Amino acid sequence: MAPLTPYTYIQCPCSDASTLGRQADSNSPRSPDDDELDDRAFDPRAPRSNYSLYPLDYLNYCEDCQQIRCPRCVAEEIVTYFCPNCLFEVPSSNLKSEGNRCTRSCFQCPICIGPLSVTSIESPPDPSLLAAPDGAPAPHSGPYILTCSYCNWSSTEIGIKFDKSNSIHAQLVKLNNGGTTRLTAKEHRERRKEASQDRLAGPPSALAAAASNGGENNEELDLETQFANLKSFYQSQLADAAPGGSGLSSLNDLGFSSPTSLSRIMSLYTGGTVHNSRNKSRTGTMREALISDEGLQIASLDESAAIQHLHSIDYSETITTEQSTNQPPHLGEVHPHGTSRFASSLRPIPYLLRTKRSKRCPVCRHIISKPEAKVATTRFRIKLVASAYIPTITIRPLNIPSSSTPGTLPPLQPSQFILTFQNPRFETINVTLATPAKTPGRFSSKVTVLCPQFEIDANTDVWDEALKDTSDKTKLRRRGAAGDDGTHQAEAGKIWERGRNWVSIVVEVVPASLRLDLLEATAKEDEDVLEIPMFVRVEWEVDVGGDDVGTAPSRDKEQTEERELAYWCVLGLGRVGQA
Amino acid sequence: MSSSSSKRHSILPPISQSGPKPPVQFSSSITIADSALLTGSNPILISSESVIHPRARLDSLSGRITIGRRCIIHERSTLGAVGTSGRITDKAVALGDYVTVEVGASIEAGDTVIGDGTTIGVGAKVGAGAVVGRNCTITARSEIKAGEVVEDNVVVYSNGMRRVDRRGVAELRNKGQARQIGVLRMMIPSNPAKFQ
Repeated sequence: MAPLTPYTYIQCPCSDASTLGRQADSNSPRSPDDDELDDRAFDPRAPRSNYSLYPLDYLNYCEDCQQIRCPRCVAEEIVTYFCPNCLFEVPSSNLKSEGNRCTRSCFQCPICIGPLSVTSIESPPDPSLLAAPDGAPAPHSGPYILTCSYCNWSSTEIGIKFDKSNSIHAQLVKLNNGGTTRLTAKEHRERRKEASQDRLAGPPSALAAAASNGGENNEELDLETQFANLKSFYQSQLADAAPGGSGLSSLNDLGFSSPTSLSRIMSLYTGGTVHNSRNKSRTGTMREALISDEGLQIASLDESAAIQHLHSIDYSETITTEQSTNQPPHLGEVHPHGTSRFASSLRPIPYLLRTKRSKRCPVCRHIISKPEAKVATTRFRIKLVASAYIPTITIRPLNIPSSSTPGTLPPLQPSQFILTFQNPRFETINVTLATPAKTPGRFSSKVTVLCPQFEIDANTDVWDEALKDTSDKTKLRRRGAAGDDGTHQAEAGKIWERGRNWVSIVVEVVPASLRLDLLEATAKEDEDVLEIPMFVRVEWEVDVGGDDVGTAPSRDKEQTEERELAYWCVLGLGRVGQA
Repeated sequence: MSSSSSKRHSILPPISQSGPKPPVQFSSSITIADSALLTGSNPILISSESVIHPRARLDSLSGRITIGRRCIIHERSTLGAVGTSGRITDKAVALGDYVTVEVGASIEAGDTVIGDGTTIGVGAKVGAGAVVGRNCTITARSEIKAGEVVEDNVVVYSNGMRRVDRRGVAELRNKGQARQIGVLRMMIPSNPAKFQ
């Protein structure tokens, strides 16, 4: 089993059960539950704790609420959208019309997701050129292709070449695999118009028309055309039905499948013809689409062609699940009933856009973190990280009896750990610690914090400290040292060690034995990890006047204000070994 | 600094020739750096216009090493590494023509064959007895296991996935290789006499 590095996780108060779903309502009588919750120690093994514990580096801090904010309890706002490949900033107005992918020339390889580059195809080299390697390189013109320099995929494999080297996205939309031009929905409509002029048939005779030339009418539509056909078909039906409606709405029309509901939904989604659905009812029901012009697309369940193709190709020419899920929705897709399985149907993947986000406190709406709007800069305008406000806790083993399995804590024997608290604030802080005497869970270990209350000096400029007299270094001394022989003992109520802005204390644990004779055959996952819930209360004084902190030795008492912050954290000390 | 010289010094320890000096058979047109490392007891054959970078390691302890025409063996790559098998065969490693072995790649000894025009990527590993076909690309950090056979024109990428390269650019690639060798010749001082 891998040895466990000691860790500290901090609980964000947002998931505290006592505050969840409760408003600050002083009038409501306190249920006995409340007291119970207040008294109850935090259990790091509770299922809810999975979602509330974070390393210190993940947490933010709201200065106005004076509270820790975790990634789950901040409101995010998108500052910019940009393409990770070309770093082009996409305006959010374009996003609605063009989607969330880069619409320039940034593509990922459909085989290996490597970046694709645009290269021109040179004319096939003739032998004379090969003999003279110093010959002038061919001018870069003519058709261009996308190539992957990692897996050597190129768009020639799916039969796509481009005329221009820029705006590949726009060119690709108009091309089907194999290089044939794709008709847009508009062009399809024009073609259909021409066809229907020949037919001169209205909707009632469509059935007959479909029956007469069924084969022709069931042409394969791509997704975009099918949707456009369906939309226009149902819209025309609604328009036909609307004037004919009279009388009261029948109860039948209330179901989801009723035409009234359907029209309401359609008008909601299309935003087009707005009907006053209240006054409307229909005697007849709506007809379904019957031919492909109306948007009917029959699922091609006959897979013999695909199977036939599978016989003739190599396994490497089929696509993996990952590759097919990476494929962007392609409007020109001809096969809406299940995606294709062959590498020849893959298309270059336009890069998904990424975002820069700012974070707000959900309570006071103040901004907690805000990146620079410019894509290329990685700086933040505002960044209130918790590690600048609350002390960092690091764990170091001090005295661990040898265990049968290396890297574990021996059960039923006291092990000592040094906890070092580092104060990031420029004020002196008072720290009060509390732990339950026995850790929660099936195997409860005994925990003793030898010095639960101490003061940490203010953080100062590192250079101030370095330039100060060496006499100051006497401050960095061992408080718990018994003598100069080096065998100092941890003493109750005394600090182990203290430095410029840090204090070390000793925690003693007696891990429980993992004997499972009576309970279960095996311990649950990670149940042997010794985790100590610890309540940390930090108090400090701030200048309300807004002067420079800590400069004036004789500070006016009236100008200072007592502040406090309290939170639960979890110390993961290590795995408990077998006895 | 007054003591500094114009010569750039490597931070790596100097190459020490350990083990026997192998019998070599060089074409007159090859480029081999002074600090390339050739060890072993079996012959090492290098055909015309091939380039051996500094600190490339050719180990013929477990068999003969053959390098074809216009090959480029980059820095810190190892040919004829005595892998896990430790087999001793007549032909340890045989490279075809226009083969590129990139930085830090390793080709184990034991009847290992690399076909013409193949590129062995950065840090890739070809196991003992593997047969790699012509115009293949073994991408960076890929691994060909011992005894594996890679067909012609295959690209091995992303943890052993394979696909067939249908670009048909082998000729172009060879042309590029020839040009690259032309440049490398000017940049790498050749000292074949050291090894003969």
